Amino acid sequence: MSAQNPSASAAVRRRLGALALHPLTLALAAAVALLALGEAISPGFASPGQIVSQLTIAALLGMVAAGQTLVIIGGREGIDLSVGGVISLCAFVAGNLMAGTDAAIPLALAATLALGFAVGLLNGLGIVLLRIPPLVMTLGMTGVIQGALVILTRGVPSGRSAPALTALMNQPLVAGIPGVLLLWAAVALGVCLLLHNTAFGVRVYAIGANPEVARIAGMRPERIRALLFGLSGMFAGLTGFLVLGYTGSVFVGIGLQYVLPSIVAVVIGGTSLAGGIGGYLGTIGGAITLTVLQSLLITLDAGPAGRQVIFGLTLLVLLLLYGRQRGLRG
Amino acid sequence: MPLLELSDLRKRYGGIVALDGADLALEAGEVHVLIGANGCGKSTLCKVIAGSVLPDSGVLRIDGAERRFRSPREAAAAGVGVFYQELSLVPSLSVEDNLLLGREPRRFGLVDRRAVRREAERQLALFAGALGPELAPDSRVADLSADQRQVVEILKVLGEDARLILFDEPTSSLDRRQVAIFFELVRALKREGRTVVFISHRMDEIFEIGDRVSVMRDGRVVETTAVADTDPGRIVRAMVGGEAAAGGAPGAAPGTAPAPARPGDATLLRVDGLSAPRVDGVSLELRAGEILGLGGLHGQGQSALLRGLFGIEPGVRGRIEVEGRPLRRPTPADSIRAGLAYISGDRGRDGVALLRPILENLAYGLVTREGGVAFPRGRVAGRLGPVVERLGLRFGSLSDPVRSLSGGNQQKVVIGRWLATAPRVILLDDPTKGIDVNAKADLFRMVRELAEAGAAILLYSSEDGELLGHAERVLVFNGGRIVRELSGEGLTRHALNEAAYATPGATPGAEAGAAA
Repeated sequence: MSAQNPSASAAVRRRLGALALHPLTLALAAAVALLALGEAISPGFASPGQIVSQLTIAALLGMVAAGQTLVIIGGREGIDLSVGGVISLCAFVAGNLMAGTDAAIPLALAATLALGFAVGLLNGLGIVLLRIPPLVMTLGMTGVIQGALVILTRGVPSGRSAPALTALMNQPLVAGIPGVLLLWAAVALGVCLLLHNTAFGVRVYAIGANPEVARIAGMRPERIRALLFGLSGMFAGLTGFLVLGYTGSVFVGIGLQYVLPSIVAVVIGGTSLAGGIGGYLGTIGGAITLTVLQSLLITLDAGPAGRQVIFGLTLLVLLLLYGRQRGLRG
Repeated sequence: MPLLELSDLRKRYGGIVALDGADLALEAGEVHVLIGANGCGKSTLCKVIAGSVLPDSGVLRIDGAERRFRSPREAAAAGVGVFYQELSLVPSLSVEDNLLLGREPRRFGLVDRRAVRREAERQLALFAGALGPELAPDSRVADLSADQRQVVEILKVLGEDARLILFDEPTSSLDRRQVAIFFELVRALKREGRTVVFISHRMDEIFEIGDRVSVMRDGRVVETTAVADTDPGRIVRAMVGGEAAAGGAPGAAPGTAPAPARPGDATLLRVDGLSAPRVDGVSLELRAGEILGLGGLHGQGQSALLRGLFGIEPGVRGRIEVEGRPLRRPTPADSIRAGLAYISGDRGRDGVALLRPILENLAYGLVTREGGVAFPRGRVAGRLGPVVERLGLRFGSLSDPVRSLSGGNQQKVVIGRWLATAPRVILLDDPTKGIDVNAKADLFRMVRELAEAGAAILLYSSEDGELLGHAERVLVFNGGRIVRELSGEGLTRHALNEAAYATPGATPGAEAGAAA
């Protein structure tokens, strides 16, 4: 085997090249550039406190985008538009179960995760059993959930976060870092391990890259795909739980603002919408870049039109870099 | 003057010569049979006439005028109609919409639905009584049975009013009555002065409907005679060429044919009365160490049998036993755990996930066979090391995507995937499609080693040479059934080709005697 491999220095150079062009590296470089730009325009933009608060917002986006990443890697036009609805629903349920008491946190967490998973699995079953396109199925699910929420709440905000949950989101836990960032790190580790170091992960990439090959190799693409939607629902549920802690109480449409950014974070993170390639590290970079970009645009007070232009240009530059990278890989 | 004349047609695909100076002349009002072994160039020749393949050189004349079809549309405009073996119907449309697709009768600029219905009913009436009562003009094509679809396809071509019609295996799914009606329609075409090119996998049909027959071999037309002046034996001799008519087995170098399996060896695979779509009551037994060949023309159920056995295609009936244990309604996962492996030559469809790393592609079989939660990349790579070594796989790094490999090396990845699971029975589905000579040799060397190590091999190949060179016994398929078993002295190129055109259900001995 060693005889067929290129020389060691070439291998190292190649690995370094791959690292330099990894979506995470690119996205973080973009985030740093944006921070520097923000600091130049409005001093204090890149202060440690500001960075932590931006990362907290990115953590919420990153959690939803974890599920989105799984679903998109699984292929067959996999996409989950129902994450917004699930966030709203789970934030509502968690807030009402908790009603401001710390003692109810474990129950509320378990209930939100289970509920999110159930809704996601329902999406998955509709998609694989009834062959409903993911776009349509999850959009329909969003309508059902949001409608039900309006009926349940009569449009009035309800439920309250427990103090401990609010502290997890807003108070430093260790060395000035809030608990939510540690939680994000744990989730990131878990998702990366799942994708890269388990048989399940190998199957997920296989069904995304070529479902027929996966089927002939004895995998069950439908079952895995349904499960991926379940997991996406679960991550959205977790996000809803944390959003409750972040905002304190819940209004009906609170989750909808996460739908589009969760998809954009995955795409600028280098995961192909066609399925089969990508990973969660890139998505983390995407979530951070997107968050910094958004707060920069707010700081700049660029006005809606100016924001659109800058937002679009950043996306295009990143996507161009990925195009180049794919060329190098080919 | 012939209606259509082809002279000195040449066509290469990469290193493979499909047409090597083919000449053919078709007269108006004749049924011209085109016949030849797999890979002789007849389908390329048809594609040239149909306008879907542009030859590298050579001349095509219609009514004496030189023509050059750059698209099927141009050929159709010149009066060429084609019945494709791969059905060209739109499954989601109705029968009537398919029949009149692209030439719907119009009224005030809109499709005249009533005229469409009238025309469809008129056409379907041609097969009245032979189609089953549930077939109506507004039935969806997706809901039709195989024979009904084939009839619709035939009617669609007839409706095009072409002067020259190519029928590429139009009768493969039809029953006796439907074939009789079809032949009546062909005779009517002849009376109108139209020309029919007929390709079939059944010798008896060729003699029933053909006026002249052209035999192709190695990209050339080697003989054209009136059907009345020839016989099946002479046709098969022309297909095979001089060398093999003497009874030898070219392609199998002396001494390379494997030793016959020892009689005491255990039966690893037993199949009893297996039926599936395109497979009709196949029974066979396969012993440890044996390489059993599946022969016959393309698409006669060999591939369908292998895919059915492995559980890729549903709808399999009959008994399957692997090492004495029954395998009921298998799924690929069941088959893999029972010790089966399936290697297809269609790598893009069945073999590799091109975007994924070599390591993962190699590990798919292990992941299924062993289950388990963790996938420790380093340890998996270590376990696959010996397999990679044995394959002689050439690659940069195991984490490179499979698409960075050549076709032959990609195929080795598929083989390596199954080697890693130590299978007992290996199903090879035309495994050398599109790989180079060296990769082929490597593949068969490995297959031999596996057989010698006690695995049982079921090999379907569309290249006669591979069957002759590596199998000790060959089951010849026609129309989804085994029509002949050849082994030992009887396993020759000549016998393979003769058996390929045998009629399903006919007594094997009688025809073999007649042809000898």
